[in-house]
Amino acid sequence: MSATKDFIVEQLKEQIAGFKTEVKRETVGRVIEIGDGIAMVEGLAEVMMSEMLEFKTAKGLVFGLALNLEEDRVGAIILGDYFGIKQGDEVRCLNKILEVPIGDAIIGRVVNPLGVPLDGQGEIKADKFYPVEKIAPGVITRESVKEPVQTGIKAIDAIIPIGRGQRELIIGDRQIGKSAIAIDAIINQKGQNMKCIYVAIGQKESKVASLVARLEQTGALAYTTVVLAGASDPAALLYIAPYAGCAMAEYFLDKGQDVLIVYDDLSKHAVAYREISLLLRRPPGREAYPGDVFYLHSRLLERACKLSQEYGGGSITALPIIETQAGDMSAYIPTNVISITDGQIYLMPELFYQGSRPAVDAGLSVSRVGSSAQIKAMKKVAGKMKLEAAQFRELAAFAQFGSELDKDTKDKLERGKRLQEIFKQGQYSPVSVANQILIFYALVNGLADDVPVDKISEFERGLYKYAATSGAKILKEIEEKKDLSDKLEVEMKSLIMDYKNNLDYLIK
Amino acid sequence: MKITVKQFAWSLYEAVDGKSPSQVKSVIKKFIELLVDKNMLIKADKIAAEFLKIWNEKNGIVEALATSANGLDKANIKLLKNYIAELSGAKTVLLNEKIDKNILGGVVISYGDKILDASLKTSLNNLKEKLIK
Repeated sequence: MSATKDFIVEQLKEQIAGFKTEVKRETVGRVIEIGDGIAMVEGLAEVMMSEMLEFKTAKGLVFGLALNLEEDRVGAIILGDYFGIKQGDEVRCLNKILEVPIGDAIIGRVVNPLGVPLDGQGEIKADKFYPVEKIAPGVITRESVKEPVQTGIKAIDAIIPIGRGQRELIIGDRQIGKSAIAIDAIINQKGQNMKCIYVAIGQKESKVASLVARLEQTGALAYTTVVLAGASDPAALLYIAPYAGCAMAEYFLDKGQDVLIVYDDLSKHAVAYREISLLLRRPPGREAYPGDVFYLHSRLLERACKLSQEYGGGSITALPIIETQAGDMSAYIPTNVISITDGQIYLMPELFYQGSRPAVDAGLSVSRVGSSAQIKAMKKVAGKMKLEAAQFRELAAFAQFGSELDKDTKDKLERGKRLQEIFKQGQYSPVSVANQILIFYALVNGLADDVPVDKISEFERGLYKYAATSGAKILKEIEEKKDLSDKLEVEMKSLIMDYKNNLDYLIK
Repeated sequence: MKITVKQFAWSLYEAVDGKSPSQVKSVIKKFIELLVDKNMLIKADKIAAEFLKIWNEKNGIVEALATSANGLDKANIKLLKNYIAELSGAKTVLLNEKIDKNILGGVVISYGDKILDASLKTSLNNLKEKLIK
């Protein structure tokens, strides 16, 4: 006992002996004005842009961020509880720009934008920090997008494919399944060698709590980090949340891994930035947003990239979400973000209420990266599907007027109805890419034409089940080779025909 | 347009810079008249403070404050003055002293918006943090 005691004392002595007193020259200022999460500070002559500040208050230390550097004062946003700060409080420069802890320890955790855990599972041990604001990778380091992100959603994987390193906007009104698409995509990344980061900006904490529970239940939390700036957090935290999430993603990018990052949603982010800007007295522009609101999102989304092999070959795929008001896509923020991203998934209220969910509009949704982000097998079966899906909606509207239709149009309508039925998909039920190819193959080759429209979903479910037992070899081959050989096509066809022989609801 | 305190201070500095004491007297008299005219006499103390800042900056004077627990002796004050002059690049250092038992020992120097904390209290706090780690 005493031996260990001596040992501890010895160790302490050693530590104390090794302790060097050092005197640092610190820059300090004083708060001259405080309110609404914004502080005006005098002094701090050598402060850097977006440098971290430390407010010494009666309640303890609070962090801040210098945003406005003026002639004789500094405008700072406060990252945390600003009620304890009083006029005249001391403010210190920390001589580092805002940074967040990164590392493998953040996987599976719920953190706030400063990297402080919110899930009550203990401290995050990270010894490395990344700056929150970082210049996006340059042209030399990049490569064109060529590998797919399998979202597991049939309508998206088939007609609006997303590639690794792409930025695909999800846009639509409230309560229409925008977040659902993003969450389904995260759930489907299991075993796809992908890390996921979900950044909740101004979301209800109840919604985030149920989301985390869902991710945990499906096992998706094992590769996902949730960055939460809730609706009750100050605008300053909402403002830095997506950048913090992106910094965390960049850690995995630098390790050569693939990351999927969801910003849910950027319209609330723009609103938070507008609040900060107005309080900092920056001049308002259109819709009262400041002049640099485009740069706000472009510098964030530009950090999504696909790096070439020499630079590690990692990627960051961004799925920003924008909420429109009553379907108004031509408002300021939606048009900005549409022009920044490589395509958008537009969710349509009419489709949603008709029951075709996810309510992806085939006509207005595009992926500018396109089929280079699809595996060859999918390209073969889904090639013309986007056009067909878009044409079907026009034809269906047109066909309401007259009953006399030529055979060609009738066939197209029948095919379109079945396609629309196949695109219907429940939440949290991603479909593997091999199964998707199988069902699309059945459709485009007319093998589903004799299935009644209302039985399509039953047909589909049965087909997956049948294929899992009798066609396991075929599915495996599609997944491994990622291409359809003639032989494989014949095998697929016979598999589907065999399955159909057991059905009793086919149209004779 | 409203003339700011800073602008008044600057113009006063420019008016008195390089003038003989008798000239300065008349300049100040005129300046006070101007303040009365512009209804700015109420801000006179602020203008004076701003003027002092400009004057110090232009003439390389730095005002510093040394806080110690038990007061400083002459030799130490001289050392400190030289040290601050070296750090800030000033020609003259006006050192004010303050006694604060709370810092336990050592000295805290502050000038402009800079602080050099060499107090025993801060060192002990740092040691405490290090030991906790």
